[in-house]
Amino acid sequence: MRVRLEDLSKRFGEVTAVDRLDMAVEPGEFLVLLGPSGCGKTTALRMIAGLETVSSGRIRIGERDVTDVLPKYRDVAMVFQSYALYPHMNVAENVGYPLKLRGVPAPERAEAVRSVARQVQIEELLDRRPRQLSGGQRQRVALARAMVRRPSVFLMDEPLSNLDAKLRVHMRAELKHLQHELKTTTIYVTHDQVEAMTLAHRVAVLDKGRLQQLDTPRAIYGDPANLFVAGFIGSPPMNLLHGRMESGRFLGQGFALDTRSSVSVARAVLGVRAEDCSVILDGQGHLPGAVYSSELIGDHSLVTCKVGEELVVAKMGKDFEAGIGAKAGIRLDLAHVFFFDAANSERIRLPATATAAA
Amino acid sequence: MSAPAGTIRVHAPQPSLLGRLFEPRALGRPAPLARILVYGGLLAWALVVLFPMYWLLVTSLKLPIDVNEGPKYLPFVDFAPSLHAWQYLLVDMRNDTLRPYLNSVITASVSTLLAVAIGSMAAYALSRIAYRPRLGSILVFVLCLAAAVLAMVALGLPWWLAATVGLALFYLVVRALGHRFRKSLGNGDILFWMISQRILPPVVTALPIYVMFQRLGLLDTHVALIVTYATVNLPIVVWLMYDFFASVPVDLEESAQIDGASRYRTFFDIVLPLARPGLAATGLLVLVLAWNEYLLALFLSSANAQTMPLLVAAQNATRGPQWWYMSVLIVLMILPVIMIALALQRFFTRGLLLGAVKG
Repeated sequence: MRVRLEDLSKRFGEVTAVDRLDMAVEPGEFLVLLGPSGCGKTTALRMIAGLETVSSGRIRIGERDVTDVLPKYRDVAMVFQSYALYPHMNVAENVGYPLKLRGVPAPERAEAVRSVARQVQIEELLDRRPRQLSGGQRQRVALARAMVRRPSVFLMDEPLSNLDAKLRVHMRAELKHLQHELKTTTIYVTHDQVEAMTLAHRVAVLDKGRLQQLDTPRAIYGDPANLFVAGFIGSPPMNLLHGRMESGRFLGQGFALDTRSSVSVARAVLGVRAEDCSVILDGQGHLPGAVYSSELIGDHSLVTCKVGEELVVAKMGKDFEAGIGAKAGIRLDLAHVFFFDAANSERIRLPATATAAA
Repeated sequence: MSAPAGTIRVHAPQPSLLGRLFEPRALGRPAPLARILVYGGLLAWALVVLFPMYWLLVTSLKLPIDVNEGPKYLPFVDFAPSLHAWQYLLVDMRNDTLRPYLNSVITASVSTLLAVAIGSMAAYALSRIAYRPRLGSILVFVLCLAAAVLAMVALGLPWWLAATVGLALFYLVVRALGHRFRKSLGNGDILFWMISQRILPPVVTALPIYVMFQRLGLLDTHVALIVTYATVNLPIVVWLMYDFFASVPVDLEESAQIDGASRYRTFFDIVLPLARPGLAATGLLVLVLAWNEYLLALFLSSANAQTMPLLVAAQNATRGPQWWYMSVLIVLMILPVIMIALALQRFFTRGLLLGAVKG
């Protein structure tokens, strides 16, 4: 079902946790709310669940205005970060509890519990108590409990963050598969950009309670709307170099780059991702610098160079070797260089083929 | 690698011979000397606690002459044990012992059930719902109440009319002016107000309570004792249970409410089972308080509703202290408390919340 947030705000005293959030989640869509801690993403989710009152704005699920409706009447299911399994009930009772509350007779309840347990592979755990389960198993039970009554919307609050790294990758794939099968509208909160990129149909990036960008993972990564999105998405983070733009050029510390644009900005930022940089030892690049450190990651290595007083990370092949302090030039893929206005963080869009070497 | 300038190389200290006596072998273990002191101290204290119990048991088996002749410690060795006191109280005086015993059981258990049931619901509400009563509204309520009472006393208005008019007046004033009142109280104030009921020594309220039940014609009845004990113990239940409810993760309740549970359903399905250790501890404490209560029972009961503490005290009457009878009665009083404590023990040791949150 479609979820609409209309100018949604939440204020705690002087603090504005969510600031005029206005967006729609399409039926069947997997939407991820992404942002650093304290950006308001969990508050937004809790407002949709009905656990938090709304300061202003409306929430609609389908055609229905649920802004002032109690959680139990909203037909949403939520998976908590802590899983929130009832410790005094076994797995079957946990999963069946939402059905029990809605007066589903015991035999049908048992059948529904069994079938959803099969789907998330916890059939053999139905008699166990939550404390006898591993983290991954608890996660599955929480999912089963959310799925069992086929709600119109799934809400998930960092459901994978308490799992160890390996299990997280595994559960991520399962979650994506499940959501594809169930085709239930899902709103998923995370601070982990990899989760956001891999799971989402669309990602909503939040910062300080404001929506920064709402788009497909590809667009969020490849076409960031502002400095925050550019710096937040990507690992390692996008290289950001400070300078100014004037008379068709970007002037940084010890380098100049042709922009072929008449835009003049006193405080501008050049952004370029590590994979769009390459280090040429003793060579000429767009940026002159020296090797600061070189780290072998596995299938690639990250080479950090000092350019003026700023550090630039380049992604190089795994066989690349460089001594610390070696002089190096950094070549940029000019099709993937972004400019931002430091004053308001907004992207400065130049005509597509404008940039070229100086 | 050369050390940065200005840093100092400091060597790790070596243990001394004497130091080993005061230092543990490993972190998380007691040091040798500390171990002796701690265990010795605990053992000594255990003796201090257990000896009176032993003495009670022994005294209950003594003849008056054995008591009066000075300390005698071991039955069969120092003196010949006798069941005379037990026989006197349980056979000769049968109903006069059994009635107070039953009275104590009824008043203590019913008042405890009431106090725990009402108090835990109040504590839960205080731990989960934000109350913001406006100071101005409270003031208006008190004024309306005073006006109603005045109208009843001075003008002879029937109570139902005075109450209706008073309430209507309160409603109108608060509807009209309520939004102007800025200052409001919070849950902490309500909690403190409840606990403050216990700040005054109970003697202060003993007389008014006595007069109240006298007017109601309920003196020397179970009802009077039960209502009084439940009321007096309510603040303790609220205060203790508040902490237990606060420790139940809110996530669980929020999850239950999204799953479709009402507040009462959440309380009885989720919160209460998880707060069972707290309920057991609080219940036991309140039960013992009611079981041992003397002062209020002295005011409120005489013959029919007399409780055990009064009966024990009555053994020290005109003939001087009858140690042997007192001992029997006290042993009888202690037994059920010990049995309940043993029955509830598993709740105190088991942490039910384990596994609820995180892994």
